[in-house]
Amino acid sequence: MSRRLSPFALLFALICLVPLIAACTPRPPADDKEALADYTQTNDPLEPTNRFFYKVNDQLDAVTLKPAAEAYRYVLPDGARESVHNMLVNLNDPTVFFNDVVEAEPRRAGDTLMRFLINSTIGVGGFFDVAKHWGYPEHDADFGMTLGLYGVPPGPYLFIPILGPSDPRDLIGFGVDIADWPFTWMVNGTTVYALEWAYYGLNAVDVRSRVLDSLDQVEKTALDPYATIRSLYRQRRESQIEAIRNDHRATVPAWFPAPEKATD
Amino acid sequence: MLERRRLFALLTLAPAVLLADRALAADAASFVRQVGDQLVNIINGSGTMVDKRGQIRAIIDRNVDVDGIARFCLGRFWRVATPQQQKDYLTLFHQVMVNSITGHLGEYKGVKYTLGRVAPHDDTVWVQTTIVRPENPPADVEWVIGAVDGQQKIEDLVVEGTSLRLTQRSDYASYLQHNSDNVQSLIDAMRRMLARQN
Repeated sequence: MSRRLSPFALLFALICLVPLIAACTPRPPADDKEALADYTQTNDPLEPTNRFFYKVNDQLDAVTLKPAAEAYRYVLPDGARESVHNMLVNLNDPTVFFNDVVEAEPRRAGDTLMRFLINSTIGVGGFFDVAKHWGYPEHDADFGMTLGLYGVPPGPYLFIPILGPSDPRDLIGFGVDIADWPFTWMVNGTTVYALEWAYYGLNAVDVRSRVLDSLDQVEKTALDPYATIRSLYRQRRESQIEAIRNDHRATVPAWFPAPEKATD
Repeated sequence: MLERRRLFALLTLAPAVLLADRALAADAASFVRQVGDQLVNIINGSGTMVDKRGQIRAIIDRNVDVDGIARFCLGRFWRVATPQQQKDYLTLFHQVMVNSITGHLGEYKGVKYTLGRVAPHDDTVWVQTTIVRPENPPADVEWVIGAVDGQQKIEDLVVEGTSLRLTQRSDYASYLQHNSDNVQSLIDAMRRMLARQN
């Protein structure tokens, strides 16, 4: 029986070839302390390669994903796009749940489990985020964040073709999340395979459509959009990990008769 | 004896400090509400884009620590800049700030915001808001409020976990790195960029 590779698994395999063609930024001389501090802080030793892929991606984006996202936003009203987004988020919940558990975050894991159960059924396959109104708010979790939570540093910045900004930690996380997503292991029939591609395609358009204005703003106002996106990506990842760290909500839901006052 | 006196002083001072903290937090929230209302009213009001930008600039100059942010963004290059370059840079930076803040609020009618939690962070107070603008998912924006010369000022905006001034600083740092650390070429690039935007 032959197995077809899941689309993201294929992409991940290709990405692993990138380091083979990498070029490096020369390290500044040791006597130029401030330049050296900048260099270590930026932590982008593969900058020339990264910039090359950034350019390729940017040009590809301008003729593919960006117009698709604009058309998507133009054709579908706000509410419909929100529903599609909810559905996509719901499909990803098993991965979020896996990471909540590995992060040893019972409250978050409980939220995700309830969200998946409620939204898949009462929320009609995830199209309506009913759980949010019932006290189970949405949150992010992926294996890159999980590693970060356990103290794994991000490592040097990477700009990956198609995937965009990343780093070794998040790239490994990306690979693990392909494996922990149950639907990855269902690619046997042609229909499922096609559905999976449709999921990845729609997901890309959804994500892109949600950052249309923000990315336009970066292109319009940044002197060096590449460096600006690098900084935004790093800060965003750090803040997501920080958000998990600062989630001190009690494990029992608010409606449960708690023995003592658990909220702060 | 001295120990006890110190302890006593601490105990009497503690409530005062706590109260002052709370008052500062409440102050910060009402400050953000006031500035936010002004900005949103201008954006949602009638008038041309040029008029609106002028009004927004007046509010930003009054309530944002633009000079402080500008110096932070130039980092170590502030010291090597000539007085004339510093002056040019500051003038341009005021306009950069206007474009950057209006960029996050959106330039089109229909922007709304809600105030969230208020939390002290070192010597600043962070006021959380959620900004909703048409065609965009809600954005989480933290307003960093500090005291500059005894006056409340906005020292930074943290949008979805990304600091406006940190991002701006890395943009300039990278530009300078690729243009032989030449502050004049940065100023020229800022001028060209602003001319293209307005």
